[in-house]
Amino acid sequence: MTHDRTAAAFPANRRTFLGRSGLSLGSLAMASLAGRSTHAATASSGLAGLPHFAPRAKRVIYLFQSGAPSQFESFDHKPKLAELHETELPDSVRMGQRLTGMTSGQSSFPVARSKFAFTQHGSGGTWISELFPHIAAQADELCVVRSMHTEAINHDPAVTFFQTGSQLAGRPSMGAWIAYGLGSLNDNLPSFLVMVSRGTGRAAGQPLYDRLWGSGPLPSRYQGVKLRAAAEPILYLANPAGCPPQIRRQMLDDLRGLNQHALERLHDPEIATRIEQYELAFRMQSAVPELVDLADEPEHVLDMYGPDVHKPGTYARNCLLARRLAERDVRFIQLYHMGWDQHDNLPDHMSKQAKDVDQPTAGLIADLKQRGLLDDTLIIWGGEFGRTVYCQGTLTNETYGRDHHPRCFSIFMAGGGIQGGRTYGTTDDYGYNIVDQPVHVNDLHATVLHCMGIDHKRLTVPFQGLDLRLSGVEERRVVSEILA
Amino acid sequence: MNCRHRSRVGALFAMVCVWSAGFSGSWAADASREQPVDFARDILPILASNCFACHGPDAEQRAADLRLDTEEAATEHAIVRGDAAASELIKRIESTDDDLRMPPPEMERQLTAEQVALLRRWIDQGAPWARHWAFVPPAMPVVPDSEGTAWPRSAIDHFVWARLNTEGLEPSEPASRGEWLRRVSFDLTGLPPTPAELAAFAADVSSDAFEKQVDRLLASPHYGERMAADWLDIARFADTNGYQNDFNRSMWPWRDWVISAFNANMPADQFLLEQLAGDLLPEPTQEQLIATGFNRNHRMVTEGGSIDEEWRVENVVDRVETTSTAFLGLTMGCARCHDHKYDPVSRRDFYQFFAFFNNVDEQGVYNERRGNVPPMISLPTPEQTEQLAVLDRSLAEVSARLAAATSASEAKAAEAEARDENAEASEAVLEADDAPQAQLAELKAEAEALTTQRNELNAAIQTTMIMKDRGEVRPTYLLHRGQYDQPEESETLSPQIPVSLGELGEAVPKNRLGLARWLVDSANPLTARVMVNRIWQQMFGQGLVATADNFGVQGDPPSHPDLLDWLAVRFVESGWDVKALQREIALSATYRQTGAVVPALRDRDPSNRLLARGPRRRLSAEMIRDNALAVSGLLAGRIGGPSVKPYQPDGLWDELAGGASGGPYVLSEGDDLYRRSLYTFRKRTVSHPTLATFDAPSWEICQAKRGTTNTPLQSLALLNDTTYAEAAAHLAERMQDEAGSDLREQLRLGFELATSRQPAEAEQAALARSYQHYAAYYGEHPDDAIALLAHGGSPIPEDQRTPELAALTAVATVLLNLDETVSR
Repeated sequence: MTHDRTAAAFPANRRTFLGRSGLSLGSLAMASLAGRSTHAATASSGLAGLPHFAPRAKRVIYLFQSGAPSQFESFDHKPKLAELHETELPDSVRMGQRLTGMTSGQSSFPVARSKFAFTQHGSGGTWISELFPHIAAQADELCVVRSMHTEAINHDPAVTFFQTGSQLAGRPSMGAWIAYGLGSLNDNLPSFLVMVSRGTGRAAGQPLYDRLWGSGPLPSRYQGVKLRAAAEPILYLANPAGCPPQIRRQMLDDLRGLNQHALERLHDPEIATRIEQYELAFRMQSAVPELVDLADEPEHVLDMYGPDVHKPGTYARNCLLARRLAERDVRFIQLYHMGWDQHDNLPDHMSKQAKDVDQPTAGLIADLKQRGLLDDTLIIWGGEFGRTVYCQGTLTNETYGRDHHPRCFSIFMAGGGIQGGRTYGTTDDYGYNIVDQPVHVNDLHATVLHCMGIDHKRLTVPFQGLDLRLSGVEERRVVSEILA
Repeated sequence: MNCRHRSRVGALFAMVCVWSAGFSGSWAADASREQPVDFARDILPILASNCFACHGPDAEQRAADLRLDTEEAATEHAIVRGDAAASELIKRIESTDDDLRMPPPEMERQLTAEQVALLRRWIDQGAPWARHWAFVPPAMPVVPDSEGTAWPRSAIDHFVWARLNTEGLEPSEPASRGEWLRRVSFDLTGLPPTPAELAAFAADVSSDAFEKQVDRLLASPHYGERMAADWLDIARFADTNGYQNDFNRSMWPWRDWVISAFNANMPADQFLLEQLAGDLLPEPTQEQLIATGFNRNHRMVTEGGSIDEEWRVENVVDRVETTSTAFLGLTMGCARCHDHKYDPVSRRDFYQFFAFFNNVDEQGVYNERRGNVPPMISLPTPEQTEQLAVLDRSLAEVSARLAAATSASEAKAAEAEARDENAEASEAVLEADDAPQAQLAELKAEAEALTTQRNELNAAIQTTMIMKDRGEVRPTYLLHRGQYDQPEESETLSPQIPVSLGELGEAVPKNRLGLARWLVDSANPLTARVMVNRIWQQMFGQGLVATADNFGVQGDPPSHPDLLDWLAVRFVESGWDVKALQREIALSATYRQTGAVVPALRDRDPSNRLLARGPRRRLSAEMIRDNALAVSGLLAGRIGGPSVKPYQPDGLWDELAGGASGGPYVLSEGDDLYRRSLYTFRKRTVSHPTLATFDAPSWEICQAKRGTTNTPLQSLALLNDTTYAEAAAHLAERMQDEAGSDLREQLRLGFELATSRQPAEAEQAALARSYQHYAAYYGEHPDDAIALLAHGGSPIPEDQRTPELAALTAVATVLLNLDETVSR
C-alpha cells in the first residue's frame, strides 16, 4: 500500500478530521481559551425546551460554609438576648424540638448572647455582626435570608439535603441538575467545578464527600469535577514524565486515525463521541493550567481578596478562581469552606472562620461587579443548618458553644436577579423559631433554578419508579419576594 | 422527587422512553380495529403514568374518590364497558374545558391522540382487565416457529427472529470467531482472550468448538470474580461505613463467599436464600452465616451525637429497598411515606416487609466506633485456631498453678497467724514465706502475658458482620411519613409480603426464612424474571426489561415478553442453574451476531432493543483496568482476600476527610498493585477516581444497572494515570520479548493483545509510521525515553530503557486508548 492510499484511508490530516467531526478550528485553538464568548456557539446544549423562561442568571457561585455557621454571631441580630443571657430556654420556645446526642444529656439550656456587636449597613439597614466588616461593606448587594429551615440535624444528611434536595445520598447535586438542564457554555472546561478549602477555626473539620457533587442517576458527565489545589488541578491532567506535549499531540493524532478507521467499519456513534472527548481532554490540558495561572492578575485585584489569595487551596484563592471560572462561563461553581462547627470555643473559632471568608467573599462580589458579571451570576453564601440559642457545655463569655439547630438560620444571596440591600424573614426573640416568611431548603432550590430560567417542577428524571426533582416531593415555592 | 407529576423526561431517559413508546405506537398502528387491545401492555402504562397519581393506590392523594387502578372501582362509572363515548373517562380526557379536562392542565400532561384512540378501542372492546404483566407468574410460552430460516441455534433465537420478522428486519452477520471470543471472555470472566486462546479457537474445526470455549470460560476461577462484580453493586458492598466518619469495615469474607458461590455454580435460589436467611437455617454452617452479610453491607452511622433509633430505622429501610430491588425488581422505597403511586404496594405493605428486617440484634449508631460491629462472627485461620487452643491450654495450666499457689500461700498465712500466738516462732516463718510470694508474682505475670497474647491474637482474627435476630421481638409500627419518631403505635404489624403478591401461608415461618422461601417459590412471578433479566443485561448491556431495577407498572415493558418468560421458566426448571443459562445465551445466534452496525439499522434501532445485531459496548470500570493489566502481563491473578490499594493520586482522602477517617491512603505493595479491580479498596465517601470516572457506583445504595458514559476525564485517566503509563511500558516490553526482533511482528502482537484481532494492512502501516515518529523523537531525547519507562512500582530495568522501547511504549499508549481496546 502506498503512502497516499494510506493517508486517504486514515484522515489523520487535521483539516480532514475537523471537517468530518464538525468541530471548528477555533474550538481546537489553544491560544484563545480565555475569552468567555469565544466558544459559546459550539458548547454543548442542554435539554430541549430549556430554559423554560428568560433566566436572570447564567451561572451560580455557591459559597458553602460547611459545618454550619452560627446565625447569632453573623446575620440574625437578637438584641433581647442581652437580657435573656444565662436564663433557661423556656419549654414554650423549645416546643419539644429534638436534640442531638451531644446536648440531649444536658440538664440545663442557658441562653447565650452573641459576644459580637451588630450594626446596620447599606441603604436597607442590614444588620451584620462585627465579624464580617468587608461583607458588611457590600450590604447593598446582599439579600440576607434569616428564615431558612431544614429537616436534618446532623451534618452529613443536612449537607446532602442542601446539595441534592434529599437527605439520602444518591441524588444528583444542584450543579449536576443545572449542567444537565442547561448544558455548557464553555468548550474547554467542565460545566460544574468544585473547590474545597479548610477553615482555620476548627482543626478537625467535618469531612466532605465527593458524592455531594455527584450526578446520581443523571449521566456522569454532569457530575462536578473537583479543582484541586495540588500541582495537578484536575486529576490526571498532566502528561506522564517522558511524554512531552508534541508526542502527546502525535499520539492523539495517531489514536484518532485508528479510531476513525474503527468508526468507518463499525458505525458505532460512541466511537465518534470518544474521538471528541479525547480532543476536549487535550484542550482541558491547556485551559486548566491557564485558568489557575494568576500571572495576569494585577496586584490591586489580588488585594481585594485579602492576603490568603497568595496561598493555593485557601478560600481566598478559591474565590479568585471562582471569578476566573465565572469569566469563562462555567455554569456552576461550588466552593466548600470547612470548619464552621462551633460546639465550643465559639468566640475564638468563629472569629478565625469569619476572617477566612470575610474579605475574600466581599472581594469576589466587588470584583464580579466591576467586571459587569454580578448581574448574571447568582451568589449563595451559607451552611447546612443553624446553631442553638442555648449554650452547649459551660456558659462563659469566651468559651461558649452552640449545638446544631435546624429550625432557623441565615444565609445570604447576591447578584443574578436577587434584590440587594434586603433582609427577608424574621425569627423570634430567642432566634429559635421562625416568625415570618419561612424558606425551606427545597424552596431555595426552586428559587435558584428559577433564577437560572428553570421551572423546578418541570426539571425531572425518572428514578426508582418516580419522577425525581431537585426540589423534592412536597409542594415548594420560588421565593419571588426577593427577586429583583 | 415528584410523585404527582410525571412530566417531560430528560435526554438520558428520553431515548428509552421514546423507543418504548415507539413500540406501543407501532403496535397500535399495525393493529386493525378488530385486533384486541392488550390491557397490561398498552392500557395500564397509560393509566399509570397519567392517572394513578391522583386516582391510584395511594388513598391519601386520591381525588374525587375515584380509583382507576382496580377493575371494580374503574368500571363503576368512569368506564362504561363497550361504550367509550358514554364513559366519563373519555369525556374528561377529551374535554376542551380546562376545568374539566383530565389530566388537569397544571399536571403538564397531555395524552397523545394515539393513546386516546387506544383507550377508546379498549373500552369499546369491553374494557377487559388484566393484572400488570410482571405480577402474573410466567407460564412456559410456545416457542415460535421460525420457518424458512436456518438462523436459530437456540429457542432464544426463535423469539428474537419472530420479533425481527414482525419489524421487517434481518439479523446481522455472525461475528468473527475473534469478536465472539473477546465478547464472551469479558462477559464470563471479565478478562480478554490471550493470543494463544484466540489461535487455538481459530484452528478448532470440531463441531463443538464454541461449546468448548464457553465451558472453558465457565470453569475458570475468574468467572466468579466477574459475576461478583455485578452482584457487589446490588449488594452495595464497600470497605467503609459511609456517612460522615466513613470508618473502615472489613467485609471481604462475604465478598469471597460470593466469588466461591458463583464459581461453584451454587443454584441461584440457594444463593438468595443463604444471603437473606442463612442464619435461620437449622444449624447454619459458617459459610451460611457469612452469606447473610448481604444485609449488613448497608451504610452505617458512627457520627457522634446521632440519634440511635433514627439510624437503626434507616438500616432497616435500606434492607427493604435493597431486598425488594435485588430480588423483586420493585421500588418499595416510595411506600415508606405514602402508598405507592403506581404499584400495588401500600404503606402497610412496606412496614410489614420492614418487619422482616426489624428484629436484628443491632444498634442504630455505634458511636465513633471503628471496624465491624455486632452481630458478627470471628473467622480464625486454622493456625489461629491452633494458637488459640495452645494459649488457652497454657492459660488454664498457669491459672491452675496460680490458684494452687494462692491457696497454699493462704494456708501458710493462716498457719502463720495461728503460730503468731507463739511469738518466738514468727521470725523464722517470715523468712520462709518469701519464696512462695515470688513464685506467686511470677505466675501472675505469666498469666497476664498469656492473656495479652490471647487478646492480641483475638484482635488479629478476621471478623465478618452477619444477620442475627433478637430473642424478644422488636415491635413494628407504621411510621407516620416514614419518620422514626412518629410510630403509629395503635397497631403492631407482623412480617408479611405485599398483599397484592399473595400471603405467606400458615406453614411458612413469618421471618426472613419464610420470605426467602416465598421469593424462590416457583409461583413467585418476579424473582426468576428479575434474575434472568440481569444475566441478560450482563451479556447484552441492557435487559429485556431495560429498567432492571423496576418491574413495576412504571418500569419499562419487556422488549421480548415471551422470551423473558421462557428464560425464567427454564431457569427455575433447570434448578436455578446460572451457568447453564449463560451457556444457552452465549451460544445463541442472537449473541453470536457481529456488533458492527449498518447505519440504516443504527438509525432504526439505536439502542438495539430488537437485537438485530450483536451487543457492542464499552468495558466496565473494572474491566478497563484489568484488561490493561492482563495484556501488559502485570495482572496478579490471586483470588480473594482483603481489599487492596492500587495507584491513586496523592492527597485525595486528605482533601476531603482530612485523614480523620482511617488515615491516609497507603499504597499497596508488590503484586497487590496489580490485583483485579474487584479488590480495589472501596471508600464510600471518596471513590477511587478511575473506577468512578468509568461509572462504577459509590456503593452507597443498591444499584442494578450502571451508566456508560464517555467523558474527557476518561481520556485523561487512560492517557496519564500511572496504571496505564506503567502498563504501556510493560505491553511494549512484551511486544519486544514475545515477537522477536521484527518490528512489524512486534506491532502486530501489540495490536492483537489490545483488540483481540489482527490489524488490517492500513492499520499495520499506520502503527509503523507512528513508531518511526516516536523512535526519531526518543532517539534524540534519551532522557525522555528513560523517564517514560520508569513509571509505577515495576519500572523497566535501567539498562533496558532504550529509545526503541520508549517508542514502542508510545505506540502501546495509543493501543491501550483505542476505542476497540476499551470495548468488547
